[in-house]
Amino acid sequence: MRDIDAVVRGFDASGYVLDRALATAVYLVIRLGKPLLIEGHAGVGKTEVAKVLASFLDAELIRLQCYEGLDLNSAVYEWNYQKQLLAIKIHEKTEEEIFSPAFLLERPLLRAIRAESASPVLLIDEIDRADEAFEAFLLELLSDFQITIPELGTIRARHRPHVILTSNRTRELSDALKRRCLYHWIDYPDFEKEMEIVRLRARDVGPELCAQVVGFVQEVRSLNLSKPPGVAETLDCVHSLGALGKTRLDAEAAQAALGCIAKSVDDAAKIQTEGIDRILSRVAR
Amino acid sequence: MTESDVIRFCRFLRANGFSAGVTESVASVEAVRAVGPDAVRWALRAAICSSKEEWDSFDRLFDVFWSGPPLDQRLIPGRTAKEPRGFWVLTGEPNGVARPTDRDAAEIAGASPYARLKNVDFSEIPQTDQPALDRLAERLLKQMSWRLSRRRKIAEYRGGVDLRRTIRANISRGGDPIKLRYKDRKTQPARLVILLDVSGSMSLYSMFLLRFAHALHRHFKRADTFVFSTRLVNVGTMLRSRKLADAMKALTGCSADWSGGTRIGGSLQEFNARHARLLSRDTAFIILSDGWDTGNPEMLAGELRSVKDRVRKVIWLNPLMGLENYKPLTRGMAAALPHVDVFAPAHSLGSLLDLENHLRT
Repeated sequence: MRDIDAVVRGFDASGYVLDRALATAVYLVIRLGKPLLIEGHAGVGKTEVAKVLASFLDAELIRLQCYEGLDLNSAVYEWNYQKQLLAIKIHEKTEEEIFSPAFLLERPLLRAIRAESASPVLLIDEIDRADEAFEAFLLELLSDFQITIPELGTIRARHRPHVILTSNRTRELSDALKRRCLYHWIDYPDFEKEMEIVRLRARDVGPELCAQVVGFVQEVRSLNLSKPPGVAETLDCVHSLGALGKTRLDAEAAQAALGCIAKSVDDAAKIQTEGIDRILSRVAR
Repeated sequence: MTESDVIRFCRFLRANGFSAGVTESVASVEAVRAVGPDAVRWALRAAICSSKEEWDSFDRLFDVFWSGPPLDQRLIPGRTAKEPRGFWVLTGEPNGVARPTDRDAAEIAGASPYARLKNVDFSEIPQTDQPALDRLAERLLKQMSWRLSRRRKIAEYRGGVDLRRTIRANISRGGDPIKLRYKDRKTQPARLVILLDVSGSMSLYSMFLLRFAHALHRHFKRADTFVFSTRLVNVGTMLRSRKLADAMKALTGCSADWSGGTRIGGSLQEFNARHARLLSRDTAFIILSDGWDTGNPEMLAGELRSVKDRVRKVIWLNPLMGLENYKPLTRGMAAALPHVDVFAPAHSLGSLLDLENHLRT
């Protein structure tokens, strides 16, 4: 059986820096078959966990992106009405025949339950955007791993999917849902960890530039912006400066890359008032 | 570490405000069994925590519990004791109310008292008319709740053809969609977040506005109310009790700084930092305040804007708008106005009932 170290190494090979705490949580997902709810700020690599887990386990990744108004028809299943109508017209099928699996359109959740060969990884992304009604539906799925279709009966999972849920915490999730999940909070990484991530993901960029950008972003995060930059922004910034042929972060380069870091006019203004030079000098120390 | 240690640890966390129940206890025993001794902390944290707040305090509690003699019921020190204050909410006698003059009373207590009472400024209602106003308030607010739910029903008829049920209904006709079936759209009533100013300058109005908030809670299942003056206090659970009298009684026990100074910007900042997850696209955010802010107006504007970015509507109800010639010139109010969708008066029952129109859409 794989152990926690194997998880760390496997994720590392896919370019994801996993600390022991998250590795333990991921390991428990594999071992106990419990869903894992990951919360954290935008751009800290929540979604990435599921993707890397899928490649680590060599499993299929099934993704359900949640949004306001997401309903069962687009999340679980829908009958293929056109095909049903044609079948009635041309082949004079009866009700029993047209409500058979051949007329069923699988949506992500049903697909995850009906996986044939091995456990897939089911990513339910940004669950906090879905309505509470949908959340309630998920409860049945996540505790019994079965889906009931009135016309067909209950479909039970042959292989329990590994479920990763992510949330940006824009609203409180229901207690019942949280109770069924393991929980992990991903915070912004500290300097060393972020350096490791950048080194792993931007191999062609010089180490001096990387260190400066990481330091700069870490300073900016402490400025209390409305949308603080995540790791994704750090990587964007490093890649952009690399593409511009910069080798070190000076005031001019920082100005040019500001758009990668500040994602609103107010945030950009806040950084300007703080003074890019001043932030850079703090980084140098 | 034995299983009973783990269970005791769960109970210890529960005593310290965690929501961990039996499910979590079972999960944590499983989790500890699945990992080696060096990963116990993380396994327990993943299994037991269910929110950022719990996540943040876990480490400290873990250290406290596993080092030294285990203490079953040790609580985090430093919780502030609740002071029973705000007695006037119960009795309906705000601090420092100017006694109404005889002339006022004569003017108001005339014929057709209800029609008049409805539009009289709360601050000018004489004590003798209070019971009449209470009855009227209760009746009108009840009607308003009822009308709001009725409107929702009618609106549900919008929506497209439901193919699934159409086919079902027409199988006996060979599948031709002769009889159409429609989807009824289930619209949820909006979520309400109410921030009620209970500072000194509002004391003439706070009591009525609290009743108003209570009436709204009765209709909107997803409603939260906070009162603020110098700091923010969540009173949602108290207002949720069915009977007005019970709710008011519960409120007197809460630790709000009744009739203190006002820090609207600061209270909003606190709200955004701690409760922003209550806001969503279907939220109506209602502020009941006169806009007298002793804080920094830029801060108020900034915080209000970040609220506005996340909600459907920001409604500011201001009791001073009942005054003739009122202009929103106070610095706080002027700074806030650009980020307010609806700016309306809240000085009389009639004006509060108008809110219905803003909540409908």
